[in-house]
Amino acid sequence: MSLPRINFSLLGLLSFGLISSSMLHANQPLTANEEAVLGKALVFLSFQDPSLRVMVLGVLLMGLNCGLMGGYIVTRRLSMFGDTLSHAVLPGIAVGYSLTQSKNNWALMLGATFSGFAGVWFISFLSRHTKIKTDSAMAIVLSGFYALGICLIAYLQKSDGGGVANLENYLFGSIVGFSQGDLLPIVCSLILVLGTFVLFSKELLATGFDPSFARSIGLPVGLLEFSLSALLTFCIVSSLQIIGVVLVSALLIIPAATAALITIRMDKLLLLSGVLGAVSGFTGCFISFLKNGLPVGPVITLCSASIFLTILWLHPSQGRVCLWARSFKRNQKIRLENTLKACYQVLEELSFLEESFPQSLLGKRRGKSSGEIEREIDALVRHGYATRVLSVGQKQSDLPPETMITLTPSGWELACKMIRNHRLWELYLTQEASYAADHVHDDAEKIEHIIGEKTIRQLERILSNPRLDPHGKLIPSQLDIESGWTREHSSP
Amino acid sequence: MSSIITFLTGPWATPELISWNFQILVMGFLVCISCALVGTFVSLRRMSLLGDAISHGILPGIVLAYLFTGSLSLFPMWIGAALAGIACGVSIQWLHTKTRLREDAAMGLTFTTFFALGMVLLGLNAENIHLDVACILYGEIGLIPLETDWYLFGKNLGNQAIWSMGFICIFTQLATFFFYKILLVTSFDLSLAKSLGIPVNWVQYGLMFFLALVVVASFESVGVIMVLAMMILPPVSLSFLFTRLPCILWSCIALSIFYSLGGIHLAYAMDFPISASIALTAVFIFLPCCLLGSKGGLLIGLFDLVKKPQIEDCSTK
Amino acid sequence: MNSKLPLPLEIHDLTVAYQKKPVLYGIDLEIQEGSLVGILGPNGAGKSTLIKAVMGMIRPDDGFIKIFGETNRKGITRVGYVPQRENIDWDFPVTAMDVVLMGRIGHTGWFKRFSKRDRIFAAECLDQMNMLPYADRQIGNLSGGQQQRIFLARALAQQSDLYLMDEPFAGVDAVTEQTIVDLLKQLRNQGKTIVVVHHDLSTATDYFDFLALLNFRLIAYGSSGAVFNHDLLQKTYGGKLTVLSEIGEKKMNLNSPESRLFK
Repeated sequence: MSLPRINFSLLGLLSFGLISSSMLHANQPLTANEEAVLGKALVFLSFQDPSLRVMVLGVLLMGLNCGLMGGYIVTRRLSMFGDTLSHAVLPGIAVGYSLTQSKNNWALMLGATFSGFAGVWFISFLSRHTKIKTDSAMAIVLSGFYALGICLIAYLQKSDGGGVANLENYLFGSIVGFSQGDLLPIVCSLILVLGTFVLFSKELLATGFDPSFARSIGLPVGLLEFSLSALLTFCIVSSLQIIGVVLVSALLIIPAATAALITIRMDKLLLLSGVLGAVSGFTGCFISFLKNGLPVGPVITLCSASIFLTILWLHPSQGRVCLWARSFKRNQKIRLENTLKACYQVLEELSFLEESFPQSLLGKRRGKSSGEIEREIDALVRHGYATRVLSVGQKQSDLPPETMITLTPSGWELACKMIRNHRLWELYLTQEASYAADHVHDDAEKIEHIIGEKTIRQLERILSNPRLDPHGKLIPSQLDIESGWTREHSSP
Repeated sequence: MSSIITFLTGPWATPELISWNFQILVMGFLVCISCALVGTFVSLRRMSLLGDAISHGILPGIVLAYLFTGSLSLFPMWIGAALAGIACGVSIQWLHTKTRLREDAAMGLTFTTFFALGMVLLGLNAENIHLDVACILYGEIGLIPLETDWYLFGKNLGNQAIWSMGFICIFTQLATFFFYKILLVTSFDLSLAKSLGIPVNWVQYGLMFFLALVVVASFESVGVIMVLAMMILPPVSLSFLFTRLPCILWSCIALSIFYSLGGIHLAYAMDFPISASIALTAVFIFLPCCLLGSKGGLLIGLFDLVKKPQIEDCSTK
Repeated sequence: MNSKLPLPLEIHDLTVAYQKKPVLYGIDLEIQEGSLVGILGPNGAGKSTLIKAVMGMIRPDDGFIKIFGETNRKGITRVGYVPQRENIDWDFPVTAMDVVLMGRIGHTGWFKRFSKRDRIFAAECLDQMNMLPYADRQIGNLSGGQQQRIFLARALAQQSDLYLMDEPFAGVDAVTEQTIVDLLKQLRNQGKTIVVVHHDLSTATDYFDFLALLNFRLIAYGSSGAVFNHDLLQKTYGGKLTVLSEIGEKKMNLNSPESRLFK
C-alpha cells in the first residue's frame, strides 16, 4: 500500500508546482515585478534568513499538528465542534492579556485553554441536561463566547491604546512577527499530541469506535474523551496566532478529509493528514510570502482545499475521473458480454446445428439497429471472440450478400459462461430465495456479469449441479464450455 | 445608583444621541426580527451550524460583487452573496452524499474554503476594496446612521440602510406568515410533508435562500458570526417559555426589542461593539430562560424532581 | 369507472440499498384494497425500509412502487403514515392538537388557515383515541402510549385510503395496544387498506388478515392462516442467504452514479 502514498506526494508536488508556476508565468519574459517575485521565491527556498526559517518551521509544525488532530476530529464527526472550540477560546485570550498586560504567550495560552474548556463543558452540559440539541448548543457557545471575546478585546483596546492591536491578529492570524518564542507552544502541543497518539492509539481507537464496549473492558472513556478535547484545545490555541480563529478549523478538517478520501485505516489516515497539513502549511506560507497583502491563513486554507479537490478528482484509485473511466470500461465489457450471450442464443435457436449465423439474426435478437450491431461485432472481432465472413448466398444469388458470424473457441467459452451465470442465478433465485420465475430475468441480466467463478462453484454445489433453468432451458456445464465447441459442431 | 441611571439614560441624554441611537435601535430591531424568524425554523431543523456555514460562505460572493460593481449597494451584494451561499449549500450537499465525507466534515471543509477564498480575494484587491476585515466578523451597526438617506420623489425618507433592512424584515415576516404551515410540517415530520405533496426539497432550498438573504442583509451591521447568535438564541431561549410555535414566533418580535435596547445600553456603558453587545444581551437573556423557564428549565426540573419523583418516567422520554 | 380498480399498493422488483449495501432485494408485493396487512421479519430485515421506500423517503435502486395505480410521488397524497416513535423530535414546540391538525393540511390547502370545521374534526379524531383532555399538552409531556395515539389520531384526521404504520405497538401500554387494534379493524371495515410493520409473532395472526414475511427478500405473502407456519417462519427468521446478499452488494456497486453516466 505504499503506492497511494507515493501518488499523493506526487500529486502534492504537482499542485505545488502548478500553483507556483502560475504565479511566476514562467513562459513570458520577466517584468521587473515578476523578477522581484522570483527573487523572493529564491530567498524563501534557500532558507538562509533565520527568521524565515523559524516561520517555515512554525507553519510546518502547525500543519502537522493540526493535521494529526484533525484525523481524530473528522473520524469522530466532531468537525463543527472544532470550529466552535476555536471561537470559544477568544475571551480567554483577552482575559489572559488583560491579566499580564503583555503579549506573553503562556498567559494567553492558559486563558485560551480555560475558556476552551468552559466552552466544551457548556456544550456538553446544554445538550445533555436540557432539551437543547447539540447543534444549537454549539451555535450558542460559538456565538456567545465569540461575542464576549470581541467585547473584551474592544474594552482592552479602549483602555490601553494601541497595544492590543495584536490581539486582532488572533481573528485572522498573521505570520508577521512570528518568533522563536512563538514556536514553543506549537512544539509542546505537537509533542503532547504525538505522545498521546503513539502511547494510547489502541485505547483511542476503541473509545472512538464503540464507547460502550471500551467502557465494558475497563477503559477510562471519560478521561480519554476529556484528554482529547484538551489536546484539541492546545492544538487550536497554539495555531491561532498564525492561522486565526475562523480558519483554524480548516486546517483541522481539510487535510483529514482529504486523507479520508484515500484510506480508511486509522493509522494511515493520521499519517497522511499530518503530512498533508504540513504540505499545505508550507505551500501557503510560500505563496503568501511571494505576494504582499496575501494573508497567510486563507492561503493555507486554499492550498489544502486545492489538494483536496485534486485528490477528489484525480486520485488513481478513488478519484472521480478514474471512477468514471473504470465504469466506462466496465460498461463496455458488459456490452461485449451481452453481444456474446445473444450469439449463444441465436445458436441455440438454430439448435446448435450451424456453426455460423447471419448478422441479421443477431440484430433481431439484440433489438438494435444494423449500425449498432455492426459496431458490436467489430468489438467482438477486435477482442478475438468472433470472426466475420461475407458469404455469398448459395441458393438465391440475387439476395444481397449476408455477413456470417462465427464464434472463436474463446468467444464460445465466454458466451457459455454468461448464459450459465444467467440461468444458474435464475435457478438460485427461484429455488433458494423463493422468487417467482417470471421476476428473476431482469436481476440475472445484471448479476451474470459480476457473479464470478467462485460464487458459481458455490451455487452449483448448493443447487447440486443442475442442468435446467427455471424456464426449462439447458444450463451449459463446464464440460460444454471446454469441449462443447468441438462436440456440438463436429456432429453435422 | 447613579451608574444605573447613566446606564439607562446614557444613550438618550442629548437630542443628537437620541436621533443617532434611535436609528441604531431600529436597525438592530429589524435585524433581530429577521434573523430570529429564519433562525427558529433553522434551529428546529437542526441546521444551526449550516446557518453558520452559509453565513461564512457568502464572503466571496460579496467581495466579487463589490469588485464588479464597485459599490457597497445592497442589491448586487445580495445577488453575489446569495449565489455564493447557494453554491456553498450545494457543495456541502454534494460532498456529503457523493463522497465518503460526513456532513459535518463536508460543512467545515466547504465554508472555510469559501471564507478563505473571500479573504484572499480581499487581500489581492486591498487597494480597491474598503471593506474592513474585522467588520466582516462582527459588523459595524454603530455606523449605520452614517449611511446615505433615501430620496423618493424628492422627499427625504430617512436612512437607506434601515429602509432596505425594513423591507427585508417585512418580506421575511410575510413569508413566515404565508408559508407557516408548510414550514411547520416539513420541520416536524418530513414523511407527512411528503404525503401532503409538499416539495420538501424546495422548501429546504427556500429556507436556505431566506437564510442567505437575511445573512447578507444583516452582515454589514452585525457580521457573519453574530448573526448566528441572533438566529439561534431567540428560539432556543423562548422554547423554555412556550410550547407552541406561533407563541415562539410572535414573542421573537418582542424579544428583539429587548435585544437591541439591551445591546445599545450595554455598548454605551462599557464601550463595546454594539453587535457583540446585542449578542451578549441575547446570552444574558438566554441564561435565566434556560435556568428558570417553566417548560423544561433546569431549576424547575430540579424542583419537580424533588417534589414528585414519579414524574421522571413520563417526562424524560 | 375502470373495470379493474388499481391496487392500493403495488411493489415491483424493489431493491433498496443503504451506502451500496442492499437492504431489500427484488421485492414483489401486491396488496388488495381493504386488507389489513402485517409485515413480519427479524430485526434488520428491511421492514421499515420497505415502508420508507413507499413513502419516498429513500430512493429505490431498482424497481418501482405504485400507489393506487400512480407513481408513488403522486399517489402518496392518499397515504397516511404513522412514523416510528424514535423518528420524532419530542421537544418540538407543538401541542397534541397541532399535530392532529397537521393531518388536515391536505384538506384545507397549504396556505389557508384552518377552518372551524377542521378543528372540530381534529377534536373528534382526538376524542376517538380518548386523547381530547390532552389536546393542549406539548407532545413531549405525554406518555409513550399517548404519543402513539396522537399520531393515530392524526392519521385518522388525514382520512387517507392507505395507511402505513411503522411499529405502532412498540413501547405502548396494553390499553393503547387494544385501542390501536380496534382502530385498525374499524378502518379495515371502512374499506381502507392498512399496512403495519410488526415484530411480535405471538399476536400477528390475531391482529392481521394478511401477513408478509420479509427478510432481505419477500419470503411469503398471503392470508395469516396460510403463511403463518413453521416452514416459512423458519425461512424468515433462519438467517440471511449469504450468496444473495454478497452478490447483491456487488450489484449495488454496478449501480453507482458514475456508471449511470455511461448508460
